[in-house]
Amino acid sequence: MKLHSNPWLRTAYARLWVRAKSIYGEPLWVAVNIGFPFFTSFSLTMVYRAYGLNSFTGFAILGGVMISFWGNVLWSMASQFNWDKQVGLFEIYITSPAPISAILVGMSLGGILGTAPSAAMVALLGWMIFHPPINAIWPAVISVFALTLASLYAMGMALSSLYLAYGREADSVNEALHEPVSLISGVYFPSTGGFSPFPLAVQAGASLIPLTLGMDALRRTLFFGQGFGELYLDLELLALAAMGVVLLFASSKALKFLENKGRRTGTIAVRQR
Amino acid sequence: MNRVDTDITVQVDGLRREFDSKEGKVTALDGVDLQVRKGEIFGVLGPNGAGKTTMIRILSTLLLPTAGKAGVMGFDVEKEPEKIRAVINMASGAERAGYDFISARGNLWFFSQLYGIPTKEAHKRINELSEMLGLQSYLDRKFYALSTGYKQRVTLVRAFINDPKVVFLDEPTIGLDVMTALSIREYILKQAKEHGRTILIATHNMAEVDAICNRVAIIDKGKILACDTPAALKRSLGAPSLVLEVSPPPTPGSLEPLGKLEGVKGYTASTDEERGLSRIQVVVDGDGSAQSVVDSIRKLGMTVVSNWRQQATLEEVFVALVGRGFREREREAAQ
Repeated sequence: MKLHSNPWLRTAYARLWVRAKSIYGEPLWVAVNIGFPFFTSFSLTMVYRAYGLNSFTGFAILGGVMISFWGNVLWSMASQFNWDKQVGLFEIYITSPAPISAILVGMSLGGILGTAPSAAMVALLGWMIFHPPINAIWPAVISVFALTLASLYAMGMALSSLYLAYGREADSVNEALHEPVSLISGVYFPSTGGFSPFPLAVQAGASLIPLTLGMDALRRTLFFGQGFGELYLDLELLALAAMGVVLLFASSKALKFLENKGRRTGTIAVRQR
Repeated sequence: MNRVDTDITVQVDGLRREFDSKEGKVTALDGVDLQVRKGEIFGVLGPNGAGKTTMIRILSTLLLPTAGKAGVMGFDVEKEPEKIRAVINMASGAERAGYDFISARGNLWFFSQLYGIPTKEAHKRINELSEMLGLQSYLDRKFYALSTGYKQRVTLVRAFINDPKVVFLDEPTIGLDVMTALSIREYILKQAKEHGRTILIATHNMAEVDAICNRVAIIDKGKILACDTPAALKRSLGAPSLVLEVSPPPTPGSLEPLGKLEGVKGYTASTDEERGLSRIQVVVDGDGSAQSVVDSIRKLGMTVVSNWRQQATLEEVFVALVGRGFREREREAAQ
């Protein structure tokens, strides 16, 4: 079978296209996507500089890059199916023969593709303005970055099932999750290990979030010259990969469960009259 | 599911669906049986809350029956939903589903991909179907910029994009102006006639059923009360119905004695606030009972401003079957 005639790939590609195109459909969103993470990074970089912590400025810029993806996972992945349900798109998905896994993967890839230019812009501006000290093992950086995104978006897929069950409260859950997760996952500073301001229990809890491990691994490879073979980094990569697989499997199972439950209870569609 | 007649595309046997509510169990469908054939436009007519949407949701695999069987193209809704999804499509008139910042064409292409249709073929179908609905010159507009009527046309193009064998439409012309509704009805007729599709329409619009449906099932409180062609159902009433314009408008419940008169099968009333009049339609079995209705109205203290007899409509068929009109039924359901 030719690849382009595979219905799974067609669905995934179409969902990717819609997602990526929608992100750039509203010029103000593009400005917000680039502006918000950059301004926060800019402020924190200034703070680090003021205290003479020049080697930390890269953390703040990397945080700005990764927070763009985290925002996309929360606002455009996790709450997407709930939004789809409210406007009647979810029942179109369910009554079509399209595999729901293809829709999820398409949504994720579209989200990554749509967010990547804003993230790249934050990285570029940060590097041009602040020249953070970099000591990178690039193959490791690229691998860690890819694995972090995969794991992060797998979490988005799992959350999308959870939010589908939560219904209209999903937006409030998103609001509630956004800042605390950014804080404990150490987007702008190390939240695990020796530099962490948090007690061990909080660090352990935070390590269950792919963003925490991903940020730490990225800092190690990008600023501290660590590569494959470093025990702690390898463990983080292994954990990220395991989280990705588990979350992917869980999201697929959860969606099937919710579909069956929805067919029994009549909650797949929102009655529009 | 056993299929004997290969022309039967939709088969429903003893279908029952209950929902849990704060007040306990609510029965939306209560032992429904029906068969729909290939190429037929079949109307399910009833007031809001009668069970029409529930039936469509079960047939389109969004909902499971509590009891009974339902099948589409020989596949069981409970056991073979994936097989049904490949040969059906559905659309609701209340739905405005689409991605706002994507053009109408982009949205339709996206929906076509859910069925694995090659892009070239998808664009050909989008153009053909849009042409029929007068949507062509709006295809490249962003979805959010389309009016309600054009969004509805996009929905109807989507409903046929996968060349479905069976299409379920829930109130396809609700909230639309007369001209748009007419063009949509023509489009639906064409889809059934030229492509042999089965189209099942759930509606409370009697004119729509009269205009396009080959057969209609009248449904109330989850039960099918009658099922035949619109003409045969109207013929079954026999005598033309009686319409009276009265003043002052009746108070709630004051018309109840009418229902007890001999030869009266039922009645429905509506008020024209501007003119301060009420119109009462009474289904009677002959001239004698029509006269007793007029006398009774006068006894109730109302003045009969005008009265005439008119050929039965599907609403009067419903009134004759239930004793009340759609409006009264919907009010009762809301209470």
